[in-house]
Formats: sequence, C-alpha cells, structure tokens
Amino acid sequence: MKSTQYSEKTLDHFRNPRNVGILEGDDVAIGRVGNPVCGDLMEMYVRIADDRITDISFQTFGCGSAVATSSMTTELVKGMTLDEALEVTRKDVADALDGLPPIKMHCSNLAADALHEAIRNWRAGVRLSPLSATEIASTGVGCGAREANVVEHAEEYLGTGVYHSVENPADLEGKRVLVLDKGERSARLAIELTEHTPRVVFLTELDGLGLSEELAQQVKRSDVKVLFKSRLLEVGGEGEVEKVRIHDLDEDDEYDLFVDAVVLLEG
Amino acid sequence: MTLTPPAGVYLDYQSAKPVDPRVVDAMLPYFGARFGNPASLHAFGDEATEALERFRASVAAFIGASAEEIVFTSGATESSNLALLGFANRNRRSGDHVVISEVDHISIHNIGKALEKAGFRVSKVPPDQFGRISPAKLRARITDETILVSVGWASNEIGTVQPIAEIAEMLVGTGVTMHVDAVAAEGQLPIDMATVPVGLLSLSSNDIYGPQGVGALYVRKGVKIAPVTMGGGQEGGLRSGTENMAGVAGMAAAAEIMATELPAEAARIAVLRDSLVGAVLSAIPDSHLNGHPTERLPGNAHFRFDGIEGESLVLSLRDAGIAAATGSACSSKTLEPSHTLISCGLLHEEAHGSLECTFGRFSTAADTDALMTVLPGIVDRLRRLSPLYRTT
Repeated sequence: MKSTQYSEKTLDHFRNPRNVGILEGDDVAIGRVGNPVCGDLMEMYVRIADDRITDISFQTFGCGSAVATSSMTTELVKGMTLDEALEVTRKDVADALDGLPPIKMHCSNLAADALHEAIRNWRAGVRLSPLSATEIASTGVGCGAREANVVEHAEEYLGTGVYHSVENPADLEGKRVLVLDKGERSARLAIELTEHTPRVVFLTELDGLGLSEELAQQVKRSDVKVLFKSRLLEVGGEGEVEKVRIHDLDEDDEYDLFVDAVVLLEG
Repeated sequence: MTLTPPAGVYLDYQSAKPVDPRVVDAMLPYFGARFGNPASLHAFGDEATEALERFRASVAAFIGASAEEIVFTSGATESSNLALLGFANRNRRSGDHVVISEVDHISIHNIGKALEKAGFRVSKVPPDQFGRISPAKLRARITDETILVSVGWASNEIGTVQPIAEIAEMLVGTGVTMHVDAVAAEGQLPIDMATVPVGLLSLSSNDIYGPQGVGALYVRKGVKIAPVTMGGGQEGGLRSGTENMAGVAGMAAAAEIMATELPAEAARIAVLRDSLVGAVLSAIPDSHLNGHPTERLPGNAHFRFDGIEGESLVLSLRDAGIAAATGSACSSKTLEPSHTLISCGLLHEEAHGSLECTFGRFSTAADTDALMTVLPGIVDRLRRLSPLYRTT
C-alpha cells in the first residue's frame, strides 16, 4: 500500500489536526519520542488534575500519519484518567483512524508512546520543558561531558582532508567541512569557516552547546549546522576524505555523512 | 488528436510524462492495419521490417548515432541491465571492476548489487555538495581491473548535470568503456554520440513524451555485450522477443518531434524553473535549493525547507490540486531518505524536508503561480505543527 493511501479519517486529521500547540504550567506533563533523523519527532503536552487528563496538545514533525495519529490520540484520551490513558495502544489509535497503511504502523504511530511517556514522566516527577531552539536537534535530557575517543583512520588522511589545525580557513573554500567539538576554539573556527563555505557541520557529543552563552548564541545565529549527541567514529574515502561514520548516541544508530574535510583541532 | 494538458497542476514530469498526441497518432496504425511481425517472410512482415528500421533510424538520429547502434528494449531499466550486466559478463576476462556513482538512480545501484553477487567489484564515486561527479575523483578509482564506468547524464532527482563529455574523453585510450543513463537528460539537453565518446547509453521513450514500456540502448560500434534475455534472436541477438511495434513507432515519433523542438522547449521551461526558484527562495524563509545552482536540468527545481517533512508537504499540495514529489523517506518503500540527497552531504532530517518540482512540455507560468499561491502557507502551517521549527 502506498503511503498516500490513507483513510478519509486519517486525511481529515492530517488536514485539520486537533489540539495543536504547547501547554504550559505546573500541572502539565510532557512526553517526547522519536528522532528527527528518522523523520519523526513527537511531543505530547498533558494537563493533569486529580489524576485525570483535563487538556492535551501536541507538536509533531513527521509524515501525514505522524500528524494524524497525534491528533487522534489527543481526541481519544481527553477526559480519561491516567490509568485509562496508559491502556490506549498504538492499535487503538490506528483503529480510530480506520486503519493505517502497514508500512506506517510502526514508524509513524508514536503518539500513544509519547502520551505514555508524558504520564510516566509525571508519575516519576520528571518535568521536561518545550525544546528550546538550541536543543532542537537533540531529544534527550541530561548533559554529558566531552569524551576523548579515537577517530578511526583519521591519521591516514592527514594532508588529504583531515586537519589538526587550520592556518588559513580559505583553504577550505567551498568544501563540506566537519568540525569536531574541541571546545571554544573549534566553535570559533566553525563560525569563521562559514565565510568560506556554505556547509559547516559542528559535531558534539553533548546534548547542548557546552560553550559560553555568548559564543553559543553566535553559533546559533551562524550557518553552522550543529549535530548534537553524536560521536565521530571513522573517516573514510578513496585516497582523500569523502565521508565520515557517525554514531547517533541518542538512537544508538550509525550512519554515513558525506564531507570533504574533517577538522580535529589539536593542542 | 488534440492537445490535452494534464488536469490540475502537474509538477512531476520526472516521474511520468503525458504522451504527446502526435505520438499517439503515429502509434495507432500499428495496433490495426500494420500489425505484422518483422520476423515473418510475407508482405505484412516485410512492411513491419521496413518500418522497424525506419524507427531505428529516427531514434539514432535523435542522439547522433547510426541505426545499427540502437537496440530497442522495454525501457531504460532494461537498457541499463543489458548495458551493465551484458557488458560485464561479456568482458569479464578483461577485468572484474566496475565504477558507478553515488548519485545515480536506484536502478543502477541495484544492478551494481547484482554485479557484486556475480563476483564483480563495484566502487561508487561520491559527488560534491551540488551532486556533481569530479572526473579526477572518478579517475582515481580506476585500476587495471576496471572495465566499465557508469554515470547518469543528469540526476533524475536533484537535476544536477554531470560533466559527461569530460569524463568520456578522459576515459578514451584507457580501455575502460563508459555507460551513461541518459533518462533524466534526454529531451532537456542535447545528446550527441558523434561528439561524446561513450560506449553505451540508456534511453527511455516516456521521457521524450513517447509511450511507457519502450526504451533503447545505444551500443557503440565495436563495444561487445552479451544478451541478458534469451529467445528468438531479435535486435541482433541482444534483446530477444517480438518487437513492440506500436511502442517503437511511438518512441521514434517522439524522438523526431523532440529533435526539432528541444532547443525552444528547454529554453522555455528553464524560464519557468528560474522564476519558481527565485520565488520560493525569496518568499519562504529557511528554504534552500538542492543540486547545482547552474549546472542543472532546465525542468528541475528541487528545494528543502527546514523543520518540515516532505511527505506532509506533498500531501498538502495534493489537497490543493498540485502534483509534486519528495525525497523524504516517509514517501518511499524502504523508509530510507533519498540516497542522492545523502550523497550530497545532507543530514537525514534535511533530506526529509525536500520538494521536487519538475516541468515539461505542457507546463505554464500558471502552474508555478498556482504553486506559489499555496506553498508559503503550507510550509508555514507545517512549521507551526513542528517541534523542530521554533523561532526564538
């Protein structure tokens, strides 16, 4: 079944999603699931009084069924007790939408999970906040420390795309550059490089920018693309740097990113 | 037949094109009075043989080839299978290494996997951030064992045009044969086998407004390939099976029309493309053009929008009566984002937010106007839904 073969009800919830937005207050629980890398990120905001859902809203980045299942879930559970809401399954949501294409059942039917996450967070006393702009590419909580790890094969590409220092940023003119987070100096270099190339990726293992407030703001305003909670595993390419292997620490998943240069500042 | 442009706003010419009514007229006799089989010895057969060779000459003329260099197939996918598998099998004694490109169509990648299963080694050349293959980078992958290089003339997806002549000339004298999948480029760029020294070239009929289910493989004189379809020995033994006469008649008519109309048509649709690119980038914040800024197909505009997902975008456009495409994983069978966008260096979440608009023979400024009437609002609506797009 093609992804576009949605039921009328699914299309209606996609076109006119119910309960979109953010709720605020001490009585609001937040659940967040998914990962933008997979094309889905879903947040549920649940207002709770006397163990009952009095109001609920959502925000979703995702395909048609991701939006529709979020919308339907909010309709289904409004007014329920928390225990009742925990009983609502992905299948209940899909059934209420008159079914989903099989390929969409798992990947984009996360709304019930986000709801359960919100309730579990509430009961565990975990209070999430809406994502701030700097956190947008990261989805976890807590803040790790920069870990020193060995980047496989990096030394083999010294002179053919791996740099331990960049004397003249113009040498990287027009290249897709990956700068590994080595603190403030590397962040400043990343910003400077955007004057010479449209593609600068700043890769950090942290889930936020571990920089001074001022520098973090500068990174945010620049064209630097930040990859949070990511570990650089390996440099690859035939004779010169062509790609890197990245470990997405949040999803515990590995993928390739095509780049022309890798900057691993030393000293 | 009269010209009936597609109903609604159609901006997906790369997926399928309407058959030109003049082509349909040329095909009709072969469903009726001229039903003969070229293999027959009677008058009906002779008439069919004569027609088949005429059609072959028309398709050859369209790409500056000679008639005996054209093999008719069921489409470009079959042509590329015949080119890569047929060439590799026939020339195995010369080497076992084949080079393809990361930006190529999925069909070439999957043929590459089949070659690997058959014991060949396949290398992929990555493109730059605009989707262009560097001839030098490709050259660095060629070894003494390399027998074949395959690069698409242009990307069917992001529209980037490859330096095909430069690569082909670089390979002259190296003993390596070059195959080109010309499907995305045909009808939009001039293709001339008399001046560009490639050995094998895949063509489809629908991409020049002919019927679907027909294509051709150009096999330069002297290039040896083995058949992959066995049977009665039609098409010089390279593609057995009774000829699809009506289809071939259609492809030939389409090629004749395109040979005349290409320059004016390409210039006209390039104007539409440029106006859409300008309008989108200026009207929609945080929008980007994918692919090469100048070296791109005249009919291709490919965008991405921060913070939104392509399937949602295409569904919303569909509700507004507009047909367009996306490289988002959520629209694909594999749930993987477009390998083309990834090979240009995009991150997964960036590749998910893409929108592909392709123009063709029946596109007008009314189509781009209709798109621009709704697109900014749709992007805005989806961004307001999205937790990934919050302005601070």
